[in-house]
Amino acid sequence: MPQKHKYTKIHKIFINNDITFVNFSCFSAFVAKNHLIKLILPLLVFFSTLTSCTKNPDVELIPAHKPTPYEIKIPFGFPTKLNIPEDNPMTVEGIELGRYLFYDGRISGHADPAKHMSCATCHIQENAFECGIDHPVYINGRTHGVTGIPTPHFMLPLFNQVFNHSGYLWNGFVEEANPNPMLRNLEALTYMGIIAPHEMNSDTLSAVNAIRAIPGYSELFKKAFGTEEVTIDRMSKSISQFIRTFISANSRFDKYMRGEVQLSPAELSGYVLFVTEEGADCFHCHGGAGNPLFTTHLYYNNGKDSIFNDPRDRFGVTGDPMMRGAYKAPSLRNIEFTAPYMHDGRFKTLDEVIDFYSSGLINSPYIDPLMHHINNNGVQLTPTEKANLKAFLLTLSDHDFISNPAFSRPENLPQRFNLSGPSDADRLFGR
Amino acid sequence: MKLKYLLFIIIPASFFSCNDDPDPGPPPPPTGKIVLEFQHLYHNNPVQFDTIRYLNAAGNLMMFTEIQWFISDVTLYFNTGDHYTIDEWKDIHYIDTDIPSTLSWNVLDNIPAGMVDSVTFTFGINEQKNQSFLFVNPPESLMFWPNILGGGYHYLKLNGKWIDNLQRVSPFNFHLGIGQIYDNQGNITGFIQNYFAVNPAGPSFNIEQGKTTAVNIIMDVDSWFNTPETWDLDFWGGDIMQNQAAMAAACVNGRDAFRVSLKY
Repeated sequence: MPQKHKYTKIHKIFINNDITFVNFSCFSAFVAKNHLIKLILPLLVFFSTLTSCTKNPDVELIPAHKPTPYEIKIPFGFPTKLNIPEDNPMTVEGIELGRYLFYDGRISGHADPAKHMSCATCHIQENAFECGIDHPVYINGRTHGVTGIPTPHFMLPLFNQVFNHSGYLWNGFVEEANPNPMLRNLEALTYMGIIAPHEMNSDTLSAVNAIRAIPGYSELFKKAFGTEEVTIDRMSKSISQFIRTFISANSRFDKYMRGEVQLSPAELSGYVLFVTEEGADCFHCHGGAGNPLFTTHLYYNNGKDSIFNDPRDRFGVTGDPMMRGAYKAPSLRNIEFTAPYMHDGRFKTLDEVIDFYSSGLINSPYIDPLMHHINNNGVQLTPTEKANLKAFLLTLSDHDFISNPAFSRPENLPQRFNLSGPSDADRLFGR
Repeated sequence: MKLKYLLFIIIPASFFSCNDDPDPGPPPPPTGKIVLEFQHLYHNNPVQFDTIRYLNAAGNLMMFTEIQWFISDVTLYFNTGDHYTIDEWKDIHYIDTDIPSTLSWNVLDNIPAGMVDSVTFTFGINEQKNQSFLFVNPPESLMFWPNILGGGYHYLKLNGKWIDNLQRVSPFNFHLGIGQIYDNQGNITGFIQNYFAVNPAGPSFNIEQGKTTAVNIIMDVDSWFNTPETWDLDFWGGDIMQNQAAMAAACVNGRDAFRVSLKY
């Protein structure tokens, strides 16, 4: 995109003052011939001084950086309040840089190419930016960092985060309420991904140096942030901008809501089950037409266990005893692509999940009251109802999202132009 | 020379002659502000959430985990016979015991100054306003009431647990919104608006010019379960969104579940 470098107002003000001076010079010649105007002149000078007292502008002789604003297009029924920090506005150039960094394994800062890891190593577009259950390295979706240390939980998918104001990760550790201001937003989460031992296991200096050493990035940083300086803050910001563009809103259900397609009787029957208390009652936690994110982004104990020893549940974050065993309700959009399910990946298929909610719930003092069928061990669906509910859930698959080229791996990463072979990460992970 | 002096007078005068209409008209009527504070009490004490400790008239031992509800159409009735309905920028307010900021509503309206004899409001949202997609942002949007059940929004979510007649801890979702009429086959044939007007008891108060008056709106949570009808969780069960008889009975109890007090 074209860059617009402009100089500051001070330049224009100099020009304006010059014009004023010239005008008065011409005027003085006229005055010599006209006695009447000579008398008026002091008055004019006096009043002109009243209007000419421009504030002393800041001296900004460096070019003003004007990246191209990027506007989030809000889909029908979606929230209008966006989670975009004031210090990281969305720009076309920032998103472009973030896209490169998202897919570049060199961001992990390791000298050994075999240890290169990018966000996209685990966040795979075809799986709604989750790793999927059939990953060749992360068996059954169990992810680990470059050192082999397992990630504490299985992955959450990554989309529609620009509408999320209720924290990140299964336990909401990164949230606006975190007392540490460095742990409150998507930028923090991105940074954590770079330095966490169970993810890229890098450090700020290594990550910055690795990217700084790639000349092709200089221009991208300059376009995004005004100078070529590579910082971890800028890296996190640009990647976060890119992630915020991941909007999934074009599933068959979305098209149904827009009146573009009709759902089958089985799918509609499944939808009725989804949104009724006496049906499957999914909607209180997972949304519906009135909450098209298909999650509240809130935290619930949904009846998976009776013993709670995960230090990273919601209780581990808030200290609220009622939050033992509670985790974020994930969006059910694209649920078809995001197996395995639950924070610990205990369910491999959607059928297993539906069976769990139908008859596999386990009571505990901490179960959320919204699980009001608990004393029946679940909502007790018939086989037909289970099939219909699954049919509805599959209408939430957004094939346009998982194939959107705007979110895909760039054809060439900086300094790797005309790359025909696999990247380091591809080689490492067999893709 | 006369012309010269004339110009000396006219030109400067022209700079100061473009004043506004010197007649300001009648002064605007005096106004003040109001802030509504929401309290949730059980037997006159603030509800203590997440602990089973409340015994209702039916003998159910209960706990509450959260209360979320809408108030709208708040109207102040003055001793002059005039009334004023809050509607500037915002006429519906969401209250959530998990979100402290919702427990105080700083009303933007400039309220006419004067003595307020009484306050009325709509519990929930009236039929005209209670339309799906009215709210697209959380937390209000999370209150949506499924279209197939009538659409719009929950008026109330009061969640908790009770010790049922089998001595089990059972969750209940005391949820109110638009009710449904079902035929013998279980098909929905119509809807019933369950919102209602509330005329809470409370003292008169004065809206003073240039000042903000704080008024408490109190929900007596015990009233939902005790008066005028005894609400038995063992009878009605843990979910009532699709049970119009239950919602109708609940709404009868809700009419006296509110009162107003002054905050000093």
